[in-house]
Order: sequence, then C-alpha cells, then structure tokens
Amino acid sequence: MCGIAGIYNAAKISEDSPSTTEGMLSALVHRGPDGWGTYRTDQVSLGHVRLSIVDIEGGHQPMVTERYAISYNGEIFNYIELREELEQKGIRFQTNCDTEVVLKSFEVYGAEALSRFNGQFSLLLWDRIERRLLVARDRLGIRPLYVLQLGKTYYFASEVKAFDAIKGYQRSLDMHNLFEHALLWNTLNDATVFEDIRSLPAGCYEIYGEDTFPKTFRYYEIGESTPPASPPSFKQAVGEFKELLQDSITLRLRSDVPVATYLSGGIDSSVITHLTSRIKADQFKTFSVAFSDKDFDESTYQQEMVAHLNTDHTEVKVNYEMINRTLSDAVYHLERPIFRTAPVPLFLLSEEVNRQGIKVVLTGEGADEILFGYDSFKELKLLDFWRKQPESKLRPLLIKRLYPHLQHYKDSRQFGMMRMYYEGFLTNITNEMASLNIRVHNNKAIANFFNKDFKLSFDHQGLLGKIKQAIPDNFSSWSLLQRNQFLEIKSLLSGYLLSSQGDRMSMAHSVEGRYPFLDHRLIEKVFHYPDSYKMKILKQKYLLTKAFEENIPSVIVNRPKRPYMSPDLKSFFVNGKLTESAEYFLSDPVIDNYGIFDKKYVGRLINKFKRKLPENIGYRDNMLITFLLSTQMCCHWAENPKKEKLNYSLKTTDIIDC
Amino acid sequence: MAENIKGKFLDFIARNFMVEIDEIPLDESLIDEGIIDSFGLIEIASFIESEFGILVKEEQMTRSNFGSVHLIVDFVKGQES
Repeated sequence: MCGIAGIYNAAKISEDSPSTTEGMLSALVHRGPDGWGTYRTDQVSLGHVRLSIVDIEGGHQPMVTERYAISYNGEIFNYIELREELEQKGIRFQTNCDTEVVLKSFEVYGAEALSRFNGQFSLLLWDRIERRLLVARDRLGIRPLYVLQLGKTYYFASEVKAFDAIKGYQRSLDMHNLFEHALLWNTLNDATVFEDIRSLPAGCYEIYGEDTFPKTFRYYEIGESTPPASPPSFKQAVGEFKELLQDSITLRLRSDVPVATYLSGGIDSSVITHLTSRIKADQFKTFSVAFSDKDFDESTYQQEMVAHLNTDHTEVKVNYEMINRTLSDAVYHLERPIFRTAPVPLFLLSEEVNRQGIKVVLTGEGADEILFGYDSFKELKLLDFWRKQPESKLRPLLIKRLYPHLQHYKDSRQFGMMRMYYEGFLTNITNEMASLNIRVHNNKAIANFFNKDFKLSFDHQGLLGKIKQAIPDNFSSWSLLQRNQFLEIKSLLSGYLLSSQGDRMSMAHSVEGRYPFLDHRLIEKVFHYPDSYKMKILKQKYLLTKAFEENIPSVIVNRPKRPYMSPDLKSFFVNGKLTESAEYFLSDPVIDNYGIFDKKYVGRLINKFKRKLPENIGYRDNMLITFLLSTQMCCHWAENPKKEKLNYSLKTTDIIDC
Repeated sequence: MAENIKGKFLDFIARNFMVEIDEIPLDESLIDEGIIDSFGLIEIASFIESEFGILVKEEQMTRSNFGSVHLIVDFVKGQES
C-alpha cells in the first residue's frame, strides 16, 4: 500500500510542479515510508510514496513503459492470474510486482483492464502517446483518491492533506457539504466536506485530456450483475459462499511480508481468522482492541477465538484518557468530522501493529453490509412488516428485539415510547432513502449547532432528490433490504467506515487493511441471494452463521450482535469538567475563530453534562460532542498543516520525460 | 398549575435537548420535529416520573398523550388531578 499524488494541466504544468509534488508526497509519507519517487513531463507530474509489500526489491514507482507512466496505490490480488493471461498473449515482464501487471493490462485491454482487477487501488496513469491522464479507483472505494481543481490545473492525492502543500491554497470546509455529512455521516456522490475537493467515485475512472472537462466513466456498480434465473438452494448458497470467501482470503494473503488479522470478538473477524488459519501452516499474529470500560469491552470473545486457534495475540487496552489524548492526531489523519470515537482505538491498534513489524492485516469490514448485519436492516424489515398492518398490536412488539445492546429497547416499561417513536417512520420507510430516513431524522437536530449565519436548515425533499440521482436504474427492481444494502455501502461503508475508520486509521501507521468480505465476486453473488438467506426472520447474517457455526466457538456464534463502539462523551469529561483539550477546542474564542458553530448551543451541551454525567448517555449527545470536537480539530489541521520532510536517501525514482 | 407544568416541561426540553424555549413547537410532535430521538422519549418519561411523580403506563404512551408539548402538559395535568 502506498500514497500517490499528481498534477495535470492540459497546456503545461507550472515550473514549481516538481517541488509541489514533493511537498504533496511529504504529507503522505506515513502511507509509504519505504521509498518515494517522481515522474514528470510537460503536462503532468506524478509522485509516489511506497510501502513495500510485493516484490520488495523491484516495484519502485512511478513505473514507466513505452506507452504509460503510472503512480499506483494498492493491490491487485489476482495479479498472478492476470500475468499468466498476459504472458499467454506474448507479453513479457521485467519485475515480479503487481504494478507491472497493471501497466501491461492497460496496454493490452485499455480501460477495460479495470474490470479484470480484483483488488483495492487508486491510480494515476499517464498515456505518453495520447497525452491523456486516466485516474481510477477500485470498485468499493477502499483506497482513496481526491481531486482538487485550481484554475486549469488538477491536483490528485491519496489524502486531502497533501493539497496543503500547494502554494497559496488553503483548505476550508464547505458548510452545505458539512451539514450533509452531519446528516448521513458522509457526503453524497463525489462531494467532500471541503470546498473544491472531490473524491473520485468508487468504481469509476476519469480521463483528463485536451477537453475542457474531465470525462467520468463507471466500470462497476453494486448489484450490476444479472440475477440468476432461479436462486440456489440455501445449502448450495452456503457451499458457494464458503468457497468464495475462502478464495477471497487466499488471494488477500498474497504478500511478501507477514499478514496478521484483527479480532474484534464478533463473528466476521472470527471467520476470517479461522479461514486464515486453514491456509497458514505457521502460527500468525492477531490483534484486538480492548476497553477499560466494560460496557465496550469484547475481550472475552476475542480470547475465546485466540484460544481456539492458538494465534500469537496482542491486545491494546484503551481507556478514556487515551481516547481524549489521541483524538486530535486521529482527526489529522481521517480529515473529516466523525460522529463516534470508534476510529481512535483503531489508530492506536495500528500503531502497535506497526511496532511489531506487521504491514498487512485482514479485517472483517463489509460483512454487515453484504449480509444484512446491521440493526438498521432489522429495523427496516420490522417497519415494513408493521406498516402493512399499522393497527396491529403484535407487530410493533418486535421493536424489543432491535438493538440488544441498548437497554431502553428491551425495557418493557419503555416499549410504548419506542413504538411511538417508530410510528412516525411507517409512511416513508419504503422511499428511496430506506433506513437513511431514520439516520437523517436522528441527526437533523445538529442544524441548531451550526453558526446561524450559514442559514442551514434540513431539506428532506432536497436530500431525497440527491439520493434519487445517485441510485442506479435497476434500484427499484430490488427488495427493500437490497436497496438499503446499496445505500449502506454507498454512504456509511465507502465514505466513512472504509475511509475514516479503515484506510486512514491503518495507513496512519503504515498498515494496509485488506477486506475479504469486499471481494466483488462475493458481493455480487450474495447480493442476489434471497433476503431470507441473509436475514432469517430477524436473525442477521444467517448465511454466515450457518456456514461457519461448526468452526467458531458457539459463544461467538450465538452472542447478540453489537456494533463496534468506543466511549465518546465519557472520554471528554472528567469530574464534571471538560478535559483540557476539549475545553480548548470548544472554548468561545476557538469557536469564534473557526466560525462553524453557535457557541450558545455548544455551551448548552457542555452545561448539560457539567452538572452530572448520567449513567446512560443517548446516541445524540455522544454524537454531538464527538462531532463538535472533531470538526473543530479538522479546522485546526486545515489551518495548521504539519510540515513533514521527505528523506532524500529513500528516493528511488526520478524520471524526467521531456 | 398547567402553566407551571408547562414551564417546567419547556425548561426541561430546552436544557436537555439544547433548543431555545421560544423555538419549541407547542402543537407539533417533538419527534417529528427532530428535537428528540428515541432516547429523548425515554428521558421525557423519566422526567415526568421524577418531577411530577407520575409513572407512565405503557398503554398511555401514545401520540394522543405525547404528540405535542400541549398534549403532554394535559396528560400530566390529568394524571395529577
């Protein structure tokens, strides 16, 4: 895994482009501490920082062939098979690395090569003959790529912070996008929370040439494959699923350096670790986050799996103080406001992984989306069932089975209140926003906290319209749960979990995450299975459970589903007082300085908890404190970029192509 | 007395859900207006219990009793009398 940066101008890039490229690379050096290189010609400048994983000695970048120059970040896991295909066509190779396979694939197949890749990548590919730049990103958006246009010059980078190296440019938050992000936990389509910065959409590539505007092409969309004429039996589906997941893991264990796994204590990472153990003959390392606060700690389940497989395990135990102390550094890397502190322990975990010399980890992200694992799927199924007989007394009783980790859902005394809350969603839950209706509803109160000068107000119809534009033509042919799956993948997974909680938290410490559940073959196969295979009545991830119940300790298989969370509000209040860092970022002068929030409302939130920190703190208050703090920290880092330096002794490539 | 209940209730809503008292809609649902989420309803039930000594029964947890500030005030008043 690596970091990439580039500059393109159809006429001519400016004379300081080489130094700007180096500046951009210096902000990305945590993504690739093992070496760096540059390529430039009159219209384009490419840069690359390298984390060596495949073909350690070869594989320096940017890499050049007669036709192309490439700066590429990521992995193509099926590069061995692709190479064999190309060799059968008479193509010769000079290295053993996957980058050369990518280059030669483009030479033979053109942009169609992207559909042949099974991997996680973003790339900048300069066509030396046609004088065009192709920029592309993997199907799910696992690896990031941002685009900034200033005048007629385009800048590209793996992380937004690289743009801070551009002379005369300063990042600033776009308030409308920030509000959208606050509602959905992500911005829609290609927007980011920053003005003028776009994210290249997952599954797309763009061509930058002589034309005034770049052209965008989509080469993959979730659920694009044709559904089978008749679905397989459940037994057949279990067999197919096991085989594909095992193959996905086999591909993702390809590496010239050791690979470890993360163990969360849930079934997803347990299955991955189990399947890894079937391939790896030797003992391998596993890593977990544990919490001092027992309400969040899952180490009992993690230890069950460690004992079951006898892995070489390390646990990083996180407390309130560590979360408070680390939040700002984590925000520096994740580059956007967050709503839960959950990424922070993963930042601390990757630090330990790096310390132990591990560069690659397999993790369980994606299982909840492809197998209906989230409670939002249960919520949706229940509401759909209830809305068909809204007068039913029995149907709403299922509410008690939602969110088993939240006490007020189970409490019979509170049932009436919960029923009343959900009644309001019965009429709109089947629209194009599916369960996002609930997320947005719960988050819209955040509007009050913004500086009133921005006049931000919740526009439900406007948001619905934007979502309608983002959905594919076959969306309406899917079931409600499939539609929700698409939306969860496009919003929370791609833009938040894989980005803020995934790529950015692991790459902050030069650790590459790999996600076996996000192999596109698996996604497409499972997408078209009947809903009941994935959720039987209200039992989530039924297929996964049935496929591996013999292989995983029953306490893990049968435990209630709970989301990975870490302490929010409790991390920032000690003895009725805000911590020093939180006090600073939420102080009146700093609120005034950044101008994002209304200090009266911020003050009310603080006062609410200065009096007393209740035993149970609701979703909204936890979200608010984390959102406010992380937004302020985003502003801080945008105004005060770190000045990292490149190590010139690690420069491996310097190509001037004029 | 109703004004006293209303005042206490509005003060609670303003403090707990961080809104201006004059921005709290009196005849619309606090849920639909986005002022409270599901946990907010639980906080309201706890407040009514602790402040007015009224234990809200499940069958009373309906929109006809909790659908707006005025309805909640009427409900509390009805229970107290």
